[in-house]
Amino acid sequence: MRAVAVGQAELTLFWRNKTALFNSLALPLLLAPALMAAANAEGKPLIVGLIGFVLVMAVYYNLVTTFVARREELVLKRLRVGELTDPEILLGASLPSVVVALGQIVLFSAIVAVMTEVAVPTRPWFLVLGVAGGVAVFVLLAAASSAFTRTVEMAQVTSLPILVACLLGSGLFFPLSMLPEGVASAMRLLPLNPVLDLARAGWDGGPVLQPMIVLAVWIVLGTYAVRRWFRWDPRR
Amino acid sequence: MTVIEVSGLTRRYSGGFEAVRGISFEVERGEMFALLGTNGAGKTSTVEVVEGLSSPAAGSVSVLGHDPFRERSLVRPRIGVMLQEGGFPPDLTVAEATKMWAGTLTSPRPVDEALSLVDLTHRASVRVKQLSGGERRRLDLALALLGKPEVLFLDEPTTGLDPESRRNTWELIRALLHEGVTVLLTTHYLEEAQTLADRLAIMHRGRIVAQGTVSEVVDAYPSRISFVAPRGVALPVVADTDAAGRVTVRTNNLQETLHELLAWAHVNSVELSGLDARSASLEEAFLAIAEEAA
Repeated sequence: MRAVAVGQAELTLFWRNKTALFNSLALPLLLAPALMAAANAEGKPLIVGLIGFVLVMAVYYNLVTTFVARREELVLKRLRVGELTDPEILLGASLPSVVVALGQIVLFSAIVAVMTEVAVPTRPWFLVLGVAGGVAVFVLLAAASSAFTRTVEMAQVTSLPILVACLLGSGLFFPLSMLPEGVASAMRLLPLNPVLDLARAGWDGGPVLQPMIVLAVWIVLGTYAVRRWFRWDPRR
Repeated sequence: MTVIEVSGLTRRYSGGFEAVRGISFEVERGEMFALLGTNGAGKTSTVEVVEGLSSPAAGSVSVLGHDPFRERSLVRPRIGVMLQEGGFPPDLTVAEATKMWAGTLTSPRPVDEALSLVDLTHRASVRVKQLSGGERRRLDLALALLGKPEVLFLDEPTTGLDPESRRNTWELIRALLHEGVTVLLTTHYLEEAQTLADRLAIMHRGRIVAQGTVSEVVDAYPSRISFVAPRGVALPVVADTDAAGRVTVRTNNLQETLHELLAWAHVNSVELSGLDARSASLEEAFLAIAEEAA
């Protein structure tokens, strides 16, 4: 596949970029104790929380910076005069972040599983569906956010709304039941929540239809936003 | 065979600014066509549409018989593009950037071959950010040639190159033209266009103001003789004298006028110091056009 060539180059760049390395590898490790406390050292909520963190930090935040950096370096413009299609370019540029994120999820889950003797998911396909859908949504949202980000430094600011909303609204830090019913319901429509609901549904018999619909709607919205606003050239 | 066909091309930006206003030209197979113009004349805006980066607001473009924007997948494997500015991740090495690009192409040349074409083999393991401006231009050319293109787009290919690299690049482009590659060039260096191009167009504010072979464009402009004459002598020809006393004679028949002038000077023992006589060059034609249009 042609996009892999771009992905390999991106992976090389990823290893040479100390900030990106730290954000995606060290940060989740540092956050694990905090999550551990919030989850009362229970295995399942810990895994679900880590999935949320990895998607938001290693996929979303990293990719906003990557897309902006490649756009400002005119790399996207150059790729666009070649044979690759637009989706292939975005896929290629996202590949290392996605691979690293998936690797982290597998690794953390394995560690947590050993430490806490968490039960094996009874419906693993919902867990997989949630993670896959989550990757798709946050790649698209990162591409859309990059359109409103002029410089790599600005990414720290422009990524905040989605970052904060997703993490606070996810119920990872405090249960949504603490909030008034209307607010809690609105929070459930945020992009990270259906991902985590589906992940939880891998173990429990929780509802899956509603999160699947919400996730699908976010993928459609994200695709629309990217087609409508994504910028291949720097603003000059 | 006509390889590039542009007809009534207009390009409008979202703010409503018309960068290209209804231009037409054709490029035959194996030919080099140069687009010249002052900054902001619309050269790059034109080339980007021909490359298929965006669609025209009006008019039509055909490359190798296809619409380069709508039929991108048919056109792209057969063209090579050198953009005005590189677009390589600064932390990749020359070899890594070339390998990445090769991985996106249908039938690429070997990486080593592409790098040796532009004399960059010895820099293969150097990071892109450590290259000089001229080396970066050459890397860009290597990537444009990587897919063995039938049509090559060169946007200011020799900017920042030292004279030797510029000559080498010209030699390389000549060899490609000889093999039947069609080239659309934009350049600031008029000498480059004069040396390489079969035909050219001069653009000004989005329009083509002159088009043809180099001699067709240049012949429309007079040759020039200039010298400093002693004060107070009556010259046998019509001339302008500037404040410093330098006389300029413009003529459409350089040989006759020059002969007349030298004979007169000989007979009258007049010394014409700093005598300079030259046919119109592309540079003069270009400057005259830019002045007329301003």
